[in-house]
Amino acid sequence: MAADPKMKFLVVDDFSTMRRIVRNLLKELGFTNVDEAEDGAIALQKLQGGGFEFVVTDWNMPNMDGLTLLQTIRATPNLKHLPVLMITAEAKKENIIAAAQAGASGYIVKPFTAGTLSEKLNKIFEKMGQG
Amino acid sequence: MSDFAGMEDLLQDFLQEAHDLLSDVDNKLVDLEKMPDDRGLLNDIFRGFHTVKGGAGFLNAAELVTLCHLTENLFDRLRNGELELNPELMDVIMAATKGVREMFGELGQMVLPQPADAHVIAALQGALNGQPPGAPVVAPAAAAPATPPPPPVSGGEPDWHALHATLTGAPVPPATEGELIAKAEAVPASVAAAAATPLAPVADGAAPSPFGRRATDRPGAQPTNARRTEERGMRESTIRVDTSRLDQVLNLSGEIGLTKNRLTSLRADILAGKNDSETLHALDQAVSQLDLLVSDLQNSVMKTRMQPIGRLFQKYPRIARDLARQLGKDVELVLAGEETEVDKTMIEDLADPLIHLIRNAVDHGVEMPLERQAAGKPPKSLVRLEARQEGDHIVLIIADDGKGMSAERIRAKATEKGLISEEEANTLDERQSLNLIFLPGFSTKAQISDVSGRGVGMDVVKTNIQKLNGSIEIRSEPGKGSVFIISLPLTLAILPVLLVLLGGQPFALPLSLVREILPIEQERIQEVGGKETLVVRGEVLPVISLARLLGWPLERYPEYGVFMQTAERSFILAVDSFAGRDDAVIKSLEDFRPKGVAGVTTLSNGQIVLILDMKELLADLGQHPDMAAGLRALAHV
Repeated sequence: MAADPKMKFLVVDDFSTMRRIVRNLLKELGFTNVDEAEDGAIALQKLQGGGFEFVVTDWNMPNMDGLTLLQTIRATPNLKHLPVLMITAEAKKENIIAAAQAGASGYIVKPFTAGTLSEKLNKIFEKMGQG
Repeated sequence: MSDFAGMEDLLQDFLQEAHDLLSDVDNKLVDLEKMPDDRGLLNDIFRGFHTVKGGAGFLNAAELVTLCHLTENLFDRLRNGELELNPELMDVIMAATKGVREMFGELGQMVLPQPADAHVIAALQGALNGQPPGAPVVAPAAAAPATPPPPPVSGGEPDWHALHATLTGAPVPPATEGELIAKAEAVPASVAAAAATPLAPVADGAAPSPFGRRATDRPGAQPTNARRTEERGMRESTIRVDTSRLDQVLNLSGEIGLTKNRLTSLRADILAGKNDSETLHALDQAVSQLDLLVSDLQNSVMKTRMQPIGRLFQKYPRIARDLARQLGKDVELVLAGEETEVDKTMIEDLADPLIHLIRNAVDHGVEMPLERQAAGKPPKSLVRLEARQEGDHIVLIIADDGKGMSAERIRAKATEKGLISEEEANTLDERQSLNLIFLPGFSTKAQISDVSGRGVGMDVVKTNIQKLNGSIEIRSEPGKGSVFIISLPLTLAILPVLLVLLGGQPFALPLSLVREILPIEQERIQEVGGKETLVVRGEVLPVISLARLLGWPLERYPEYGVFMQTAERSFILAVDSFAGRDDAVIKSLEDFRPKGVAGVTTLSNGQIVLILDMKELLADLGQHPDMAAGLRALAHV
């Protein structure tokens, strides 16, 4: 599966250490074109600016949480095609279902390794390739 | 060997950010006591623990994950209204927060945190299971079920695709729905038992807890002390700077580079013999510009070290609250001026003195609620911690509305403890009497044992403030309250000095100690006990000659006196003359440090000047703060 290494990611998390972790993991996988946002509201602004091809977002954030961000993305015509990978510390069934219903492309539980992230991304790329 | 090889940077980032988060949580907890139903607060606190947990997972700090996870779950219940906050539960939460902080301390030492205090874990679990807290916190026997943790759930994480397919009704070849849910309930092995709670059956109270401690766990609080000392040794070696401030530094250094180029080219012209008025004018302009740019650069660099003092203040409402609760008092710590910016090193060095002053205000300053009511005051006491910038000084104020201090009682206590003699006590005015509390040995036993807990007395508070070239002052009105006023220079890197001359050589004195300058008229010098004194507005002050302090021969009679006030005493320093005032950039003498010299600085003409450390110079003159003792000591000089 050949993902474009220039693919532009948006990493959304209110905890800057976490953004750095995700950014580093993405770098390990060869993705260096990464921007960051502190919460859903800022993320939406950046996404509206255009150019992003992939969103990796935390769930629990102030102002606008990840689920609302996901729902808003799916409800916005020019953004709804974007793949969104949800990151959360919870493996709660209701969370997973909520994310699935909102149209998340994938769901990953903290903490994770580059390997796990790669696996998740590849699954999403595959699906995108099919669709 | 560090547990975090290769992850040091990440760990530092995490700790800094997590520390801020936890301080914020601490403050919100204090607010929460006033508004226990505030969903916004509950949410924020929940998110604080949740975020720390997430970061801790990446650092493999399993014990921190466990502790945060339990606390987070508790807040989840609270915000959903499934549990109600009561003082006992609050204590459990506070203990958990403390545990988290201690684990940060361990992480700061590059070691993986040890398990949290078993009582705290048990109390959290108890609360989650709907048991009234309290009993487990105090009863170690009931605390730790010695069941080993359940083996990590195998099966990995939820099969996203399959689940998604199920939910969207697409065909699911590999698994049945039941299996899927089972898989969804399973947790990634790396999160281990910690994340499993929400799914673990808790209905059966007798069931072994998924958080059972290891059988080897000691239920005592033994590791806690070690942790505390470790945490004390930790000092931040990194600083967070607003990027716009760094950009400014960059911009200015660029401009200085350009000006340097201009000067280089002018030098070439001048060396080649070109000295017409146009060239000289250009030189003049370039030098003036450099002058301006350099001072701007100095200011900008200084600003990168400035941090809002609020970062320090944040911790205090919690400390005040804990102590007040312990003492059965109702105290609110009100903060003001948190945005005031102070040099980073100073913030660190102020932490302990301020804690002590706040504890002192809560413990000794304010009264018990009943006592207050009897005195016609509201039962809740207010302690105010305020910071503000006044000119080139930072002023910190710690004020309480308690019972105040009586000069008379302080004098009596100091005499009783043998710190001063009765005659000495009688000569002291109100201000001097209040200052007696800064004497080593004045603090009561209670202060040393449980209030300060660190053996910090008022004398240490004063010494620490003085180390920062600051001063501390007390005002108190019996029945109304006491105020401690700390005054500090804006920065430690630049010291305003007074330049005095002795035998033609300039010396620099810290301007903060100088009260006034006066001519010394020989005929007004009075001999008291064989030593010289001068009466300044009714105050009898010893006259100490700088030549004598330095061990120089007294060649001619000094013409000027500098009225100086150090922590211990007021006196007149006799010198030949003055050369003015200057903002000295202190260069320390690393290896060679003569006694009484704080450092050196360079004057504009290139001359090197010694900056005198008055405290050290005066150390030979005896330890007692009052004038009489100073005079007595003078007899030995």
